Amino acid sequence: MISVKNLTKIYKVYRKTGNLINDIFFRRYENILALDKVSFEISKNELVGFIGPNGAGKTTTLKILSGILYPTSGKVSVLGFSPFEKKEAFLKQISFVMGQRNQLIWDLPAIDTFLLNKEIYELDEEKFKKNLQKLTAIFSAEKLIQKPVKMLSLGERMKMEFIAALLHQPKIVFLDEPTIGLDIFSQEAIRNFIKDYQKEFKATIILTSHYLEDVKKLAKRLIIINKGKILYDGSLTTILQKFSSLKYVSLILEKEVKEEVLFKIGKPIAYQFPKVVFRIQKKDLPQVVAFINDQIPYLDLAIEDEKIEEVIKNLFENHKD
Amino acid sequence: MFKKIKRNLKIFLLFGYQSLKTTGQSRQAIFLFTLGKILRFIFLFGVIFLVFSKTKIIAGWSLKQVVILYLTFNFIDTFSQLLYREVYRFRPQVISGNLDLILVKPYHPFLRVLVGGVDFLDLLLLVPYFFLLLFFIFQEKISFFSFFLYLTLVINGLIISTAFHIFVLALGLLTTEVDNAIMIYRDILNLGRFPIEIYQQIISFIFTFIIPIGVMITFPVKALFNFLNFNNVVFAFFISFLFLLLSIKFWQIGLKKYQSAGG
Repeated sequence: MISVKNLTKIYKVYRKTGNLINDIFFRRYENILALDKVSFEISKNELVGFIGPNGAGKTTTLKILSGILYPTSGKVSVLGFSPFEKKEAFLKQISFVMGQRNQLIWDLPAIDTFLLNKEIYELDEEKFKKNLQKLTAIFSAEKLIQKPVKMLSLGERMKMEFIAALLHQPKIVFLDEPTIGLDIFSQEAIRNFIKDYQKEFKATIILTSHYLEDVKKLAKRLIIINKGKILYDGSLTTILQKFSSLKYVSLILEKEVKEEVLFKIGKPIAYQFPKVVFRIQKKDLPQVVAFINDQIPYLDLAIEDEKIEEVIKNLFENHKD
Repeated sequence: MFKKIKRNLKIFLLFGYQSLKTTGQSRQAIFLFTLGKILRFIFLFGVIFLVFSKTKIIAGWSLKQVVILYLTFNFIDTFSQLLYREVYRFRPQVISGNLDLILVKPYHPFLRVLVGGVDFLDLLLLVPYFFLLLFFIFQEKISFFSFFLYLTLVINGLIISTAFHIFVLALGLLTTEVDNAIMIYRDILNLGRFPIEIYQQIISFIFTFIIPIGVMITFPVKALFNFLNFNNVVFAFFISFLFLLLSIKFWQIGLKKYQSAGG
């Protein structure tokens, strides 16, 4: 459904020197490598999360896949089309939602934008009504569609953006930071909506987000990108196996234990009696557990994986220049 | 093909309808905007009469001919503003990144960024301009052929105006640094409200061959009064075709080089 091979994108950026004459007459431009020979495939009905720090190349990838940007080199095929050609048949099958950007007409109720999209996507009356009913029902937003957009809160506006973008039942949906700036309740509503939409319409969804929570709750597959290169492409569970070398061991002590004994395991990362937490190397786990059983009286013992956020953070830090 | 034209027309009309609904939201703005335009029109009309109270001919043009030229200018200018108002809002669309959401829609982007914001306030002025123009034209002894050629060259002028607007859009894609490129176009166009012959030869040459505002406005009126030879008529059609072609090419280059906000 989506095939990307050796995709490269270079931005030409004007660099200010601070010298007025030079900035006007002798401009300097710099080439910024936004994507560096990126390759991946995405199948039908997949929900893929794109993760990366600012400037990693996430949004650029999405913009090339949707035909907004022209790639510097490489091959891109989406639904069998070359996106930049902007064929109507292609554009009718995709949709793009960007957090804090809008397609809604500011002064008018959202229903006016929906009616416009009905004509743009050539939806017949019956299909339009059916889809609108379904989508507004998922969001419980039946009354909001009649309110002028400028009167809606950010969360409500985002719901309307989603409805406008999905009325035509796109096969591929690009979501770029869809929950940015929203409160936790609206974030939850948007996440549930994405989940329900994918289940109901069997759409392929590519999601970028700064909130790992979005990706953890929605995507089974994760693509981690940094400085235009893919660092990881696989499932959420495999990333822990592959890149996590740490385990967290938490103990609820039965009675106070001498520090020397505890320090034999390692320096605790938190210690306030009765709770003590150690961060240990994964390979040391059997010996550590054996030592605890043998030397430390405890009421409860818990072993946890390293948090996915930390794994990803470490991954980015290891790939710094 | 017919189906596609019908669909595009339907979308254009819907954009127009929504633009009308949006305009209708602020009645004070409608009043002030229209008043300002009427005052400017009357003031410049007065200036023409004032100048001709001191002389009978300016650069070979009589009072009535200059009045018709001034009205032709107003008609072409107002018609362009009515149709291409959205161009004035293009730069904010690029900077905010909202243009991206237009580029992923299954229609030609011109439907939205060029003609997607018809300004109905200009229609209020276009109607009186049109009738005033007819009133002055029919006071002259004009042959049917001259009138027909005049109309054709007015349409030709509108094509050049379209090309100018597309150039402005393409420039907006290539760089966000050129603030209000459309205002540069308007300032240049304003020089065309008088016959190009009043300017020095070099400026007159520029306004004919390089920035053809003379072809847009002076040529139709010259044709009306049989001042335009055949070669110039052919040249007028050629330059509008060339300008339109170049502007579309420039737009396509702009799309390829477009970097998108926050990309």
